[in-house]
Formats: sequence, C-alpha cells, structure tokens
Amino acid sequence: MNRLHETQRDFSRYVLQNSDQIPAGIKANGIAVEQRLNIYRNNTRLGLTEVLREVYPVVNKLVGDAFFNRLAQAYINLHPSKSACLLTFGGRFSEVIAGYKDAQGLAYLPDTARLEWYVHEAYHAADDSLLDVPALAQLDAESYQRLGFKVHLTGRFIASDYPIGRIWIDNQCDARQESLIDLTKGGCCLLIFRPELEVGIVSLNYADYQCLTALASGLTLIRAVECVIATHPDFDIQPPLKQWLQMGLLTDFFIL
Amino acid sequence: MAHANLKLPMRARTPIPACAGVGLRSQHHRDSLISPAKAGWLEVHSENYFGRGGAPLRNLEDIRADYPISLHGVGMSLGSVDELDRNHLRQLKALITCIEPGLVSEHLCWSSFGGSYLNDLLPLPYTGATLTFLVTRIDEVQGFLGRQILLENPSSYLEYQYSTYSESEFLDELSRRSGCGILLDINNVYVSCTNHGWNALDYIRNIAVDQVKEIHLAGHTVNTIAGRNILIDTHNGPVSESVWLLYQSALQRLGSVPTLIEWDADLPSWQVLVDEAVKADAYLEKCYEQAA
Repeated sequence: MNRLHETQRDFSRYVLQNSDQIPAGIKANGIAVEQRLNIYRNNTRLGLTEVLREVYPVVNKLVGDAFFNRLAQAYINLHPSKSACLLTFGGRFSEVIAGYKDAQGLAYLPDTARLEWYVHEAYHAADDSLLDVPALAQLDAESYQRLGFKVHLTGRFIASDYPIGRIWIDNQCDARQESLIDLTKGGCCLLIFRPELEVGIVSLNYADYQCLTALASGLTLIRAVECVIATHPDFDIQPPLKQWLQMGLLTDFFIL
Repeated sequence: MAHANLKLPMRARTPIPACAGVGLRSQHHRDSLISPAKAGWLEVHSENYFGRGGAPLRNLEDIRADYPISLHGVGMSLGSVDELDRNHLRQLKALITCIEPGLVSEHLCWSSFGGSYLNDLLPLPYTGATLTFLVTRIDEVQGFLGRQILLENPSSYLEYQYSTYSESEFLDELSRRSGCGILLDINNVYVSCTNHGWNALDYIRNIAVDQVKEIHLAGHTVNTIAGRNILIDTHNGPVSESVWLLYQSALQRLGSVPTLIEWDADLPSWQVLVDEAVKADAYLEKCYEQAA
C-alpha cells in the first residue's frame, strides 16, 4: 500500500499545491507525463472554480470571469475542499478576497461574497418548524421576564458599511437595467432567511438588527430589548416582534 | 402521466427498468415532472442532496413519486488510502433510506488524500494490492449501507507502469470478489481505450455479463496534446457516433441493461435529453427483439 500512498500523495500535491514533483510510475505513452497530469490539474481546478462561480454569481459578475478565475485559484491553494460534498466548499471566499492584493480597491466585495455564502447556506439549511402560538399566548406575565426565542434555522444576519443588498439585487441575472450604486450612500443590515423553499433577503433597520442578533445569540427578549434601548431609547419591540412572528422567523420560544 | 402536485404512494425500491433514463440536473426538475416527454427513469448525484433541507430534497421527493430513481455518487473516494469518510457514508445511508433508490453506484477511482478532496475521479494502479484493498473497502461500504453498490469504470488520461491487471480484468475480478455490480460507462470505455490504445471490444468481453447492472452513455471532447488526440470525458454534448456503435456491440453481449444518458455541462433542453434516451431505447428494443 506504500506505493499507492506515495502515488496519491504526490498526485494530489501536483494538482492541489501546483507542486513540480511528478509522481513516480506513470506511463508517458507518447505524451509527457507532466502533460497527462496537467489534464487532471486543469480538470480538478476548473471543476472547483465552477463550483465557486455557481455559489458566487454576483462576485463573478462584478469582477468578470478572468479575475474571478484568479480569485478561485487563490482560494483552492489556501482552502482546498475538505469534503466529497461540494455544498460546503467555498465558505471562506470572503476572507480570501479580503486578503487578495489585487482586490483591495473593491472594498465592498468581501461583504458581497459573505452575503452570497449566507444565501447559499440558507438555501440548503434544515427546514424548521412553526412557532406554537397558542402556547405562547398562554404564558403568564411572570414568564415574560425570562422569555427567549429561537430564530429560524435558515436565518443569517449581516451588517455592512456598503449597500450590499442593493448590489446583490442589481446583479441578479434577471435584474433590470443596471443602475449606478453610490458606495458612499451608507451601509445596510440584512436578514437572510428561507421561510419555505425560496431564500429572501430582508433589509433591517439597525435597532431591529441589534435586537434579532441578540435574540439569535440566546439572550432573553427583555435583555435583547435592553441592549437596543441603550442606543435607541425610543425602540418599541411590539411592531417588529409581531412582524417576525408573522413571517415565521421565530420558530420556538423558551423560558430561561 | 401523474399530476405533479399529487403525491402518489411512494414506490419503495422501485427497480430500475431495462430502458433508457436520464441524469437529472436541478435545472430540469420542473420539466421532468410537467413535460409530456418522459424518461424511463432518473439518476441524480447523491452528494447534491446532502444538504439538510430546502428545495433540493423536496424536489427529489417529488420526482421520486413519478420516476424510478438511481443514486450515483461521485465522492466516496473508494480507492483513496485515506480512511473511509464515515460522515459521508452516514449521509448517503440517510438519503437511501429517504429515497429508496433502485440502484446505488460509485466510481472505481480515488479523489482525496490527507483529508483534502480533489473532487475528481482519479485513476488507480491496477495491482493485486489495490484489488485486495478495494475488496475490503467495498465490503465495508456494502455492509454499512446494507445493499449492493455498482462500481463505474472511469475515463482516464494516464496509466501506471506498475499496473499488473488491465482495467477490465481488474474491474471484473473486483466485482466477483466483492460482490459489487458493475456500471459500465460505454463512453468511458471508448475514451480510455482511445487514450491508451486498448481494444474496446476486448474490454467489454472481459467483463462478466451478469455483473453489469447499468450502462452510462455521455458525450466527450477531443483535445490535441503534443500532436496527439486525447479524449476528455466532458459530458457536455450528445453521445458520439462511435460511442453509439460501441453501445450496440455491448448490448449484443450484455442484453438489455438499464441505460443512462448523462449530460452535465452546457445543458440542453429537457426534450433533447429525452430524445437521446429515445435513441438508446430503440437500440435496447432491437436487442430485446433479437433475444426473443
């Protein structure tokens, strides 16, 4: 088995780490062994690049195919796939873009990539249940003090200094005429959530974002509201809470 | 045809019929249900349904009500010296329990080393040691899944000097010793035989007839490297005429075997895929009539 081990070690280094060392024991048969191995190197790298392109169509559209291919090569070198299932491949693309020298001028790109990853994750995340509203209604006033909520399993949150929600929408395949987006016009807070089968992106104001992320981290409702009130003294939890319950974002409750 | 919204009683472990099916990609999910053009059965890539929920699984449950389903894996990395990925096996088993496929298949290849995946079908040296190793691995997998798996011959672009078996002899011997079935990909036979100068008819003759439970057909691309043609298994076009001819020869030997049309890149319309399946069906019928 040592020989198989050596072959696979050198073969995978050649393909994934661009190593120059040719695995021993390969027949040339009219074509240089290096050229034969390059077929695999190209196939593997192209395959993984296409997987990234499918998950990150907006990043691809923003930077173009050629630049995206370079980002993908950098990604494969730094974070090779760790699973046979490619649904989990590509989660650190945002990080790689942020550290990629030639992408430094595109400050909005890492957050845009993170948004696309969250959309991808939400699409494949586990289905979740509906909140038991009658049970919630029966809680006594004392329990309210210790009431907390579970956020839908597909729920993801992102806050950015850039209008990435708008960038995402304007760069969908079916988007109408592209319009200019003023990057200095401020950031956004977004909720990514899949109530049924379709993933939606919901724009949140900062107070709602703070409250929801506090709830998602496991804080009780009272504690979450206190956090928000520290910066938004006028915050009223009633309207957003009603809305979150109606949209199915809160799937369960607990008494801490 | 069954109405798309009406959930029929699930047909548990519906066997894959000896007719032509189509490899289903998510873009064709809706058409496969509502179009009057139907394939005899459908095959999907198992790993695409390893997500925890949402549309992919729901869609697969929908089509399962209308079609016999086969699960085809591309990532088990059976031939890797790495340990078998238990998590992968558990996910596959859960999917099998949920979908109850007629067939479950994988590849004669390796695709990972040291925990990193190349997510590609890489060639193995065909030696006695590899054979013993694979028999153990397949035994482990079939034991865990509680069922037979089929193993598909790969397309390859290189050979090892230290192989002591031909690929077809190796596959045949592996199937006998491990009890796995064979998924004979006729396009891969054609591609590898052309690339390495093997004889395609000999290749097929080396495989025991009763071990072949499924056939694959797909398109390939011709590349020129160092002045020589190398065929690449790209699955991005119709089945080539040469592969149709080889398919007919294979059927004469093997009889009617469930046959799948694979087309994964540059996807055509659903109708074009079904038309390819209809063509395969005509050859299967001819073969059936000759046998009768």
